Amino acid sequence: MTKGIGRSLLDVLTSLKTTIVCLAALMVLVVACTLAQVNLGTLGAVNQFMRAWIVWWDVPRTDLTLPVFPGGALVGLVLAANLIAVQLSRLERSWKKVGIWIAHAGLILLVLGEFVSAAFQVETRLAIEQGQTVNYVESPREQELALIDTTDPKFDDVYGVPESRLAHGGTVAIPGTPVSLRVSAFYPNAALRNRGPSDPPSGATQGVGTAVAVAPLPPVTRDDDVNTVAALVEPVVGGRSFGTWLVSNALGAPQGFISEGHSYKLAMRPRREYLPFSMTLKKFSHDVYPGTDIPKNFSSLVHIANPSRGEDRDVLIYMNQPLRYLGRTYYQASFGKGDTLSILQVVQNPGWLLPYISCVLVTLGLLIHFGLMLRRSVRKQMKTMQQEAA
Amino acid sequence: MKTERFLPWAVGALALAAAVFAAKAPGKVNGFDVDAFARLPVLEGGRVKPVDSVARNSLLMIRSQQSFRYDGRGVGADEWLLDVLFRPQRADQQPVFVINDPDVLGLLGLRQTADRYFSFAAIAPHLGEVEQQAMAAQRLDPKQRTRFQGAVLNLFERVYLYYRLKNTVQVQGGPPLSAELKAPGAPGADQRRAALVDLGVFRPLPPLAGQRPDAWRSAGEALQQAAAGTVHPGLDPLARLGAAWSSGNPAGFAAATADLRAVSASAHPRALAMARDEIVFNRAQPFYVGMVIYVLALLALFVSWAWRPVLMRNTAFALLVAGAVVHTAGLVYRIILQGRPPVTNLYSSAVFVGWGAVILGVILEAMYRKGFGTAVAAASGFASLIVAHHLAGDGDTMEMMRAVLDSNFWLATHVVTITIGYSGTFLAGAIAIGYTLRKHLASNLDDGTTKALASMTYGVIAFALFFSFLGTVLGGIWADQSWGRFWGWDPKENGALLIVLWNAIILHARWGGFARERGIMAMAIFGNIITSLSWFGVNMLGVGLHSYGFMDKAFWALSAFIGTQLLFIALCLVPRRFWAGGGEAAAGPGPKATSGSRA
Repeated sequence: MTKGIGRSLLDVLTSLKTTIVCLAALMVLVVACTLAQVNLGTLGAVNQFMRAWIVWWDVPRTDLTLPVFPGGALVGLVLAANLIAVQLSRLERSWKKVGIWIAHAGLILLVLGEFVSAAFQVETRLAIEQGQTVNYVESPREQELALIDTTDPKFDDVYGVPESRLAHGGTVAIPGTPVSLRVSAFYPNAALRNRGPSDPPSGATQGVGTAVAVAPLPPVTRDDDVNTVAALVEPVVGGRSFGTWLVSNALGAPQGFISEGHSYKLAMRPRREYLPFSMTLKKFSHDVYPGTDIPKNFSSLVHIANPSRGEDRDVLIYMNQPLRYLGRTYYQASFGKGDTLSILQVVQNPGWLLPYISCVLVTLGLLIHFGLMLRRSVRKQMKTMQQEAA
Repeated sequence: MKTERFLPWAVGALALAAAVFAAKAPGKVNGFDVDAFARLPVLEGGRVKPVDSVARNSLLMIRSQQSFRYDGRGVGADEWLLDVLFRPQRADQQPVFVINDPDVLGLLGLRQTADRYFSFAAIAPHLGEVEQQAMAAQRLDPKQRTRFQGAVLNLFERVYLYYRLKNTVQVQGGPPLSAELKAPGAPGADQRRAALVDLGVFRPLPPLAGQRPDAWRSAGEALQQAAAGTVHPGLDPLARLGAAWSSGNPAGFAAATADLRAVSASAHPRALAMARDEIVFNRAQPFYVGMVIYVLALLALFVSWAWRPVLMRNTAFALLVAGAVVHTAGLVYRIILQGRPPVTNLYSSAVFVGWGAVILGVILEAMYRKGFGTAVAAASGFASLIVAHHLAGDGDTMEMMRAVLDSNFWLATHVVTITIGYSGTFLAGAIAIGYTLRKHLASNLDDGTTKALASMTYGVIAFALFFSFLGTVLGGIWADQSWGRFWGWDPKENGALLIVLWNAIILHARWGGFARERGIMAMAIFGNIITSLSWFGVNMLGVGLHSYGFMDKAFWALSAFIGTQLLFIALCLVPRRFWAGGGEAAAGPGPKATSGSRA
């Protein structure tokens, strides 16, 4: 009985029909994902359709959520499995089929590359003003609660608590310091405004938060929107509380307290990752075609200083010409502040080379296969023509 | 036998000769050497071009045509521009504004007449109203505008362009350029110079020796410099040119244009050469001429079904080749002129898609000799050039490339391959439509042709899969190079992916034997729908990194196209007994087992 099921599962897996069904399902998903982008933004649509295992549908006017379609990840997985299975079990191993073999191997690599990207790709950004030196990249969406020890004027000690840890609640002990933070509330997205006479208190007993009203909101989905993350935290040092503070990326200046001769600052800010080197923006250029507003070129001349590797050099980053350095790639993405601020998109993707290899393989495979086919067809055509002539 | 071989090629040669003849320079207008004016180089839209291109593109934007009739004779774009610049009271009377929207006509208090063209003078009394409505429409998202709002905004933009043109060399209603030049301290001169700087559409005065090559001056800037003591040597001839045109003095006009030309020749000789090359292209209109020749080829083919089949079929093929030569020449000329690969925007993609389909069709015809290659090639060449013709109404088709697109390498690889993929998919669809029509219209079908059609379709789909896949992946690599994402599920990328997936489905369905001849044909026609949506539909969504060419006018055209394709699919799939030529086959046992064999 189990053997029967295994057998028929193998049949399904090695069937060309499965290939076609997967390709068709992928088309449906791609169309749905494209149309959904108008409302959800690219990231929201991709997460709902392509990167999901199952596409869920919120039935209107109810709390029901029904699975309606396999998601892109599931279809991709089945397609890859089907490709491998067909390759191994059905496709004859002959020189006539060598093109198909190469092309399919390339395709498997392509699907694999997309899985690697989905799992490991990290996108951050680096905003840098002319003359400024920066040694960190920031997440475009995620926030972190930074506890900064500013006692020594020469340098700051920074401890970051990620959003996900705050969402967990409870007490967060900050390593290397006597401070622990008691999280009494966390809002993934909220609207903050000056507290009016009828607004409920935010719960903060210290800092600007006492004059602010917090209204929770659902998290944003559109690409260009950023959540206003808010939390109520109570720093505790050796059993002594320093009051409850409201922290949010919507509040401007960091708030601070002093304990045992250390001054600390609390700030909710884009999650930072520190780089093993520093980058200085020497010059940002933004050229337009004469007499028009059409941008001709954006470029950032940056200086890279990496003492651990003894590197000290200038690099020009411009459109279609990114800097690949230490596993991250830096792209010219945007600019601001009257052309003095340059924003670089920073991408970390261990699988970035896979599509390149796959592209070469599939192209080569298809060329070989269709070339062989064309030769056969032309030969046949010649034969019929000779017969007709004869 | 001989006539059947040589006459067709003679006809083809004649078509080519006519195409060359079309590029000839026009004669004088009322004794004025307008052609000499048309050749003057100016800077507009960030590049050097002949003033003729500015005139043609402006008139095309305002009237959707490059010439019009007024006072019982044809008026070319250059003559019109001269009137707009130097004799606006005459230009205001000329019917150059095309208005189709009945509500906009109502707003202007105009009646819908047989010709939909109106003069500026007819619109002028209602300008305030138009501006008010247009400003209200502009605040809305393009997708939320009503048809009326879209139309009134469009009219306002055209009127504004016309207004700016009138205020390019001298302020309308103010003193002429010659007077401004003589009296820089006249009352209000400062404001007028500032207005010219703000409003001028193009920059007529070339950079002088030693200046940066992009330091072209507008008339306003040159007047400001003249007031400060430095007089550009082109300013005086420009003033004389205007005076000669408005006072009807051909000799003075000729002398002034010659002087202006001499300034360019000494300061910036390369600009003169560029302007000369471009004006040849403007006059030859190779894509328009090619379109006409393709229609002739189609007509010859239709005749061949009724009269002298071999002669007319050969004539059709010769005409197709002549059309392809003109089309190719135009494409190559454009590449050289622009210094860019063939596809740089939606317009040029249409030209290139058509070209790819025509070349493939010529090859197929040379291989199979059934007249079918000619039919689909001429039809798709014609159709895509018509599409291109309508896309050209947005102005300069050789505009400068935005920074992210400014990469000849990627334009040449990704964009060209993906466009060839579009060509292939469309051609396969066209062959399938031909197959369908033939089954319905022809009463006796020979098996050989049917087989040839099937193998043609298969071959072209394989070709299309290869190029659309390669183009899509190259696009991914470009994306990885420019913003660090190999694949971002951007609408345009998704559109390209759909074409790849669909072609892959067709081929696998054939290899698996799930779809037979008719099924493959119907699927190939559906490929037309997918390609058109991917090509134009995603631009209408207005999201994503590729939506540089937003357009909404084409929505109805696209819907109509999809409707006809669905009709063809239905025709293709109706049971055999309804087919004109398939009656006997219906009694047979169905498709043979061989169609299930995998290639």
